[in-house]
Amino acid sequence: MTNQEPGPEAGPAQDVSTIRLIGDIARNSARIYGARTAYSIVLPNGMYGRLSFEAIDSLSDDFAAYLREELGLHAGDRVALQIPNGLTFPIAAFGVAKAGLVLVNTNPLYTGAEMGRQFADARIRALVIVDMFADKLTEAASIHPIEHVIIAAVSEKMPRMVSGVIRLVQRYWDRSLPMVGLPHHLFGDALARGAALRASRGIEVKDYTADTRPDELAMLQYTGGTTGVAKGAMLSHSNLVSNVGQAGICFGGEIRPGAEVVLTALPLYHIFAFTANMLFFHRWGAENILIPNPRPISNLKRAFENHAVTWMTGVNTLFNALNNEFWFAEDPPKSLRGAVAGGMALQASVAERFKAITGIDVLEGYGLTETSPIVTFNSRRNFRLGTIGQPMPETDIRLLDAEGQAVGPGEPGEIAVRGPQVMRGYWNRPEETAATLRNGWLMTGDIATVDSEGFYRIVDRKKDMVLVSGFNVYPNEVEDVLSAHPGVVEAAVIGVPDGAAGEAVCAFVVLRHREAPTPGQLREHCKAHLAAYKVPKRIEFREQLPKSNVGKILRRELRAELEKAGG
Amino acid sequence: MVGAFEQAVLAAMIFVIMLGMGASLTPRDFVLALKRPYGMLIGLVSQYGFMPLIGLILALTLPVSDPIKIGLLIMGCMPGGTTSNIFTYFSRGNLALSVLMTVNSTIVGILAIPLLIVTYVAILTATGSISLVVPAQNIIITLILLLVPVAIGMAIRRWNANIGALVELVGSALGLVFIILLLVTWVPRNWQFLLETPGWVFFGAIGLGVFGFLFGYLFSTMLKLHPRNARTIALETGIQNGPLAIAIVAFTFTGPLQNVQQAVMAVPALYSLFIVITSAMLTIWFRRANAAEEQKIPDALL
Repeated sequence: MTNQEPGPEAGPAQDVSTIRLIGDIARNSARIYGARTAYSIVLPNGMYGRLSFEAIDSLSDDFAAYLREELGLHAGDRVALQIPNGLTFPIAAFGVAKAGLVLVNTNPLYTGAEMGRQFADARIRALVIVDMFADKLTEAASIHPIEHVIIAAVSEKMPRMVSGVIRLVQRYWDRSLPMVGLPHHLFGDALARGAALRASRGIEVKDYTADTRPDELAMLQYTGGTTGVAKGAMLSHSNLVSNVGQAGICFGGEIRPGAEVVLTALPLYHIFAFTANMLFFHRWGAENILIPNPRPISNLKRAFENHAVTWMTGVNTLFNALNNEFWFAEDPPKSLRGAVAGGMALQASVAERFKAITGIDVLEGYGLTETSPIVTFNSRRNFRLGTIGQPMPETDIRLLDAEGQAVGPGEPGEIAVRGPQVMRGYWNRPEETAATLRNGWLMTGDIATVDSEGFYRIVDRKKDMVLVSGFNVYPNEVEDVLSAHPGVVEAAVIGVPDGAAGEAVCAFVVLRHREAPTPGQLREHCKAHLAAYKVPKRIEFREQLPKSNVGKILRRELRAELEKAGG
Repeated sequence: MVGAFEQAVLAAMIFVIMLGMGASLTPRDFVLALKRPYGMLIGLVSQYGFMPLIGLILALTLPVSDPIKIGLLIMGCMPGGTTSNIFTYFSRGNLALSVLMTVNSTIVGILAIPLLIVTYVAILTATGSISLVVPAQNIIITLILLLVPVAIGMAIRRWNANIGALVELVGSALGLVFIILLLVTWVPRNWQFLLETPGWVFFGAIGLGVFGFLFGYLFSTMLKLHPRNARTIALETGIQNGPLAIAIVAFTFTGPLQNVQQAVMAVPALYSLFIVITSAMLTIWFRRANAAEEQKIPDALL
């Protein structure tokens, strides 16, 4: 069944005809790639379970029927999905889309209160949650009553014997299966019920979305955005489908349809892995290797040993962590052909080290939750290290100054984006939407420059910029220099109030214990590479830095920490 | 000291345990270890350089009877034992390196063991000498119990990763049972013997293993081996093949020497008991060190 399809370069035209909605991606791939493995879950000890493209399509049909017929949900109702990477995720996500419902991705590590607030904001009617985190349900439900709770196991759809052993270990050894305090259904039963309903009532799942327009809401993807308050970015079917199509053009002939194996260590509830791994790679017939928990990073060892991974997606933190693992550095996977980075700035030193180990250029892209997410991308044919590449097809970018005017050539300005992947707005937040979307242009809050060949380079976040005696200091630049020091694991830079200069540069540094430099030595190192005003005035050593769910360093937490400590 | 039936049960257990160890390995692990023979070389120097010397020094300095001195020497000249692989597995060390070192030292031991023991006994007693019998069947059994199940385990994993992981799980669980079983059954049966043995003999039998760990670790750390390999070599150096020592003593001290057999045997017997205890403690410590070295990835990256 494989390799009968033309490569992605021929993709978008074909996509337009056959793929209209998110559910069509599952249908299309099932038709072309059939019995080939679509998703494999791989546990740290090497145990695995897998489902074919056909199975994913059919099971997600079952789940869609269950949601509509058994639970009686209506088109447009919100369904939250709160599970780590595993076989449940694609079944449930495609199922929700096929049922014409709106998917609300929720971080499994949220506290009960955070869950409750998000569920209330989205006004969800049903929730699919992994059993391990079900103990937070009672608190969440006290904030927003959840009509239907569906509990899924990590080992869902794995071979019976294996899932039995996993259940035993979870129950009696890890004791990680809490009591569920609410009435609920089991995911496995839901699928069986959905299949029975489909058969007995002769349901065509396709009919659920027959009248759905591509620009209708498909997903609420929550983000702190530019203001820090969590809000739901409204992404439509066409936002996501367009982004998958755009990525197809960018990748050109690099993806071999039906022959790739992509490592999915990033959580699928995050927009990057959702679009890139679950939608894009699935659309081109790749097998997704789903890692439920990449922490510690040695959890990836068996996945690399037992599966011939050809592509991987990751964030700077993940590539850096792999570089520092002896088993990866000593014996990098020979099958690996490509790597894609996003979610946060990829540091040049990390990319270079990764290339030295694997021989592969990490292709960096840039995007936001609000843009489904990819805005710019480096393809291998059009690649420049240290830049976020060029705009995706059909995507316009302008760099604007504080007054909203286009900046001059080579000058830094805030990125404004227009394209088919730009969200419809924030859910129930007209003011935030108005502040972010202006005449169809999305204001990103990111500062960038562009070179003569159209490669964009992120300078920094607008709000993270440090103003030292009237000079702009971009923390990323200083962090890159600090991280290049052999004694430094990672660094974060923020501005702190400083009488005379207005602000001063303050660096938080995590040291490698064996060759720890002194603050003086670090400053010397910075002076060799940076203008004097950019050199950190204050250097603090830390055991670790606060990070977001994809490993982005949270500068705002460092700022808050300093403020709390009184400067 | 151990009946034939018990020996068979223990051998069967080791077979299953090693099957599980094998299922945690891939051929590439061995290729990598072989590509860097440095670690194995260091291991061999530790095994047949340090350990016999530690045995000799203990024998020369401790106020113990002659049979005990000879026992210490023999114990020091043994190759690495299979249990070192189990402890290496649990301490998250380099299992492929451990297996290769055990195989290495066992094969090299065919020549090195008699040579070392005869030479050192000559040094120890100045005049006396013994004609040593190294029972070939024990060496062959050691190698078979090591290599065959490891190879089968690796094949199982390659054939089906799920079955491989299950075999590994069973093997490692059995490994724990095995260690506890050794301790629980040994102590009560030999209680009288433990009470009658003088303190210095304890010191020698326990010290041999502990100094072995120490020298093996310091030596490989000094030569800048990766901490994981240094820990592996430490365990491999300190843990000797106890059953082989017992067999050698049993075969060598017969006829006119029969009367000292029991006394010589005290060292391997005591060593075998306490090495399980000290290795278990060291393994817990190594595991912690390993966990502390593990890279910290943000909590929320689930």
